Amino acid sequence: MAMGVSLKNVKKSFGAVDVIHDVSIEIPKGDFAVFVGPSGCGKSTLLRMIAGLEETSGGRIEIDGKDVTDEEPADRGVAMVFQNYALYPHLTVYDNMAFSLRLAKAKKEEIREKVAEAARILQLTEHLAKRPAKLSGGQRQRVAIGRAIVRQPSVFLFDEPLSNLDAELRVQMRLELARLHRQIGATMIYVTHDQVEAMTLADDIFVLKDGWVQQAGSPLKLYDDPDNRFVGGFIGSPAMNFFAGEVSGGGGGRMEVRTEVGGKVFTAARRGEVSSGQKVTLGIRPEHLKLSEEGLRAKVDMVEQLGGVSYLHVKLEDGSNVVVERHGLREALEGQTVGLAADPDDILVFDQEGRRLR
Amino acid sequence: MARPNKTLRRNLIALSLVAPFTLTFLLVFAWPTFKVIQLSLTDAPLIGDGTWVGLQNYRELLDDRIFWVALKNNGYFLVLTIVPTTVLALLIALAVNRLRGWMQPFILAIFFLPYILPVSVVTLVWQWMLDFQFGVLQPMIEAIFGKRTAVFRDPTWVMPVIALVTIWWTNGFNVLLFLAGLRNIPTELYEAAALDGATPRQRFWRVTWPLLWPVTALVLTLQLILQLKLFDQVYLLSQGGPFNTSQVLLLLVYNEAFQQNNGGYASAIAMVLFVIILVVSVMQFQLLRIGRHR
Ligand SMILES: Nc1ncnc2c1ncn2[C@@H]1O[C@H](COP(=O)(O)OP(=O)(O)OP(=O)(O)O)[C@@H](O)[C@H]1O
Ligand SMILES: [Mg+2]
Repeated sequence: MAMGVSLKNVKKSFGAVDVIHDVSIEIPKGDFAVFVGPSGCGKSTLLRMIAGLEETSGGRIEIDGKDVTDEEPADRGVAMVFQNYALYPHLTVYDNMAFSLRLAKAKKEEIREKVAEAARILQLTEHLAKRPAKLSGGQRQRVAIGRAIVRQPSVFLFDEPLSNLDAELRVQMRLELARLHRQIGATMIYVTHDQVEAMTLADDIFVLKDGWVQQAGSPLKLYDDPDNRFVGGFIGSPAMNFFAGEVSGGGGGRMEVRTEVGGKVFTAARRGEVSSGQKVTLGIRPEHLKLSEEGLRAKVDMVEQLGGVSYLHVKLEDGSNVVVERHGLREALEGQTVGLAADPDDILVFDQEGRRLR
Repeated sequence: MARPNKTLRRNLIALSLVAPFTLTFLLVFAWPTFKVIQLSLTDAPLIGDGTWVGLQNYRELLDDRIFWVALKNNGYFLVLTIVPTTVLALLIALAVNRLRGWMQPFILAIFFLPYILPVSVVTLVWQWMLDFQFGVLQPMIEAIFGKRTAVFRDPTWVMPVIALVTIWWTNGFNVLLFLAGLRNIPTELYEAAALDGATPRQRFWRVTWPLLWPVTALVLTLQLILQLKLFDQVYLLSQGGPFNTSQVLLLLVYNEAFQQNNGGYASAIAMVLFVIILVVSVMQFQLLRIGRHR
């Protein structure tokens, strides 16, 4: 498969601080890739390195198979949409979008056509004569996207483009971005710390933490089969529940783990070796926790009732919080004591370093 | 019911708050202005009343050769200072803005230092540096122009040198204004422009320059007003000489009022200067505003 963007052992340090440690990733041409991770993990830095706005301290960056590590931003065939739009405030919407074409000395006729086309796609036609200050947040964001579109780049870079919009608009723009990607089919790299955006938009997600890629893969792959505790906890909302425990027995593809709090034994599917007494962490998603008489004792603290789905916030003996997802719940459970259980196949096991035990 | 009462009360409170300022303004600005206008229509000496002469002073002004010389010199001084100081301040601000760490405040302080000096110190410094016999700058002048020059007594040199001293003295403030303006331009705009393919030169002319225009307009207008009020430097450095080549309107007002005891006539000159400053600065500001909206 032809690669849109590939990073080979890419590193970045600011002075003595290493921000990106040895990142190697491959993004196929036409892919919608999402970099996700907590604040300060280096998502923006990595994106800006691809754009050429930050120099790389080591490694290679290739775009469409061509080494661009030392190329100027303008020569890389990338366009970037900034979090705060970065529109030229003194220019009209039309001039903002025409800016790069004019610099490239494109013909007037061609500029008009391309801007009109982008404006049509983004529903900006009636706003072309306005200045950015006269537009709403969503419209400004669309102008920023339009400015990228007219350049017909092979790679679009987005740095948290929706984070300045209100919730409703964010959902709407998310859909528009997905549609836009389908329409123009260019490679897109999208940075966000919102895992919902990552799940809904991505073909491939790259989870970053402290300058390392924790795991790469399709949204469902990361959701169902995380490589480590961090990815398990980061992907999915509400987040995965974790229970500390100790291996108490097993064999034959099974492993028994006694929880630290409450002392209940959970049985998890496991192919590899197990050694009794090893400290582990169990990860169970809210939708996989079942209520059962014999389960781990917990007290229902609060219920978030959304009608179809409800989330029970229950507390274990030591006061730690666990979330249970229920469908069609109609009883009032607040204050009651319940038992928590799960199927062996739905329980993930992590070792003390947070690595997944498969 | 309570409404009009409330509005009235609010207005009264507002009025009482601005009253001290308004009274002070009337006392120290409006009243003297009125008196000057009145005075300019009499033949009054510096102290005491004169007799009403109508527009006689203004008519005399039109035939006063020195008045026209002074007016022309004021214009010459504007040409020598306004645009050069603005360009210089912008260049310095651009350079300072690129510095990082402790260098930036340090270099900025160096450029700003002259601004906090009193004018008498400024003129003393330059008189000393340009002294015909001992001035440290004389060897340089000699090297370039072939001979030493007593610049404040030379008809060709006097105005340009006063302009130079003035620029050196006041430029730091303009640098500060430009620097504040530059810091207000978000870095993302330059990054977006770089991605759009703009060269550093194009980035300056298409992003920095238009976004900095309000500051530039402000600097130009402040300079215009400030430099039209030229007095101290000329008074201290050349007293308007030699042969009136550095004679300017405010110096003329001073001479007529305090040396020749012609209060009425001096008032007339002051009025002319006042009107010139008002008209020119308002005109320029409007023009610059239009420039911003293309
Ligand atoms: N110019 C810089 N100089 C020094 N350190 C920097 C610089 N830019 C970023 N960093 C550091 O690099 C790390 C990663 O920053 P980056 O902006 O890439 O994070 P991020 O993942 O985009 O976070 P956020 O979600 O908050 O935007 C941070 O610890 C930050 O402090
Ligand atoms: Mg960021």
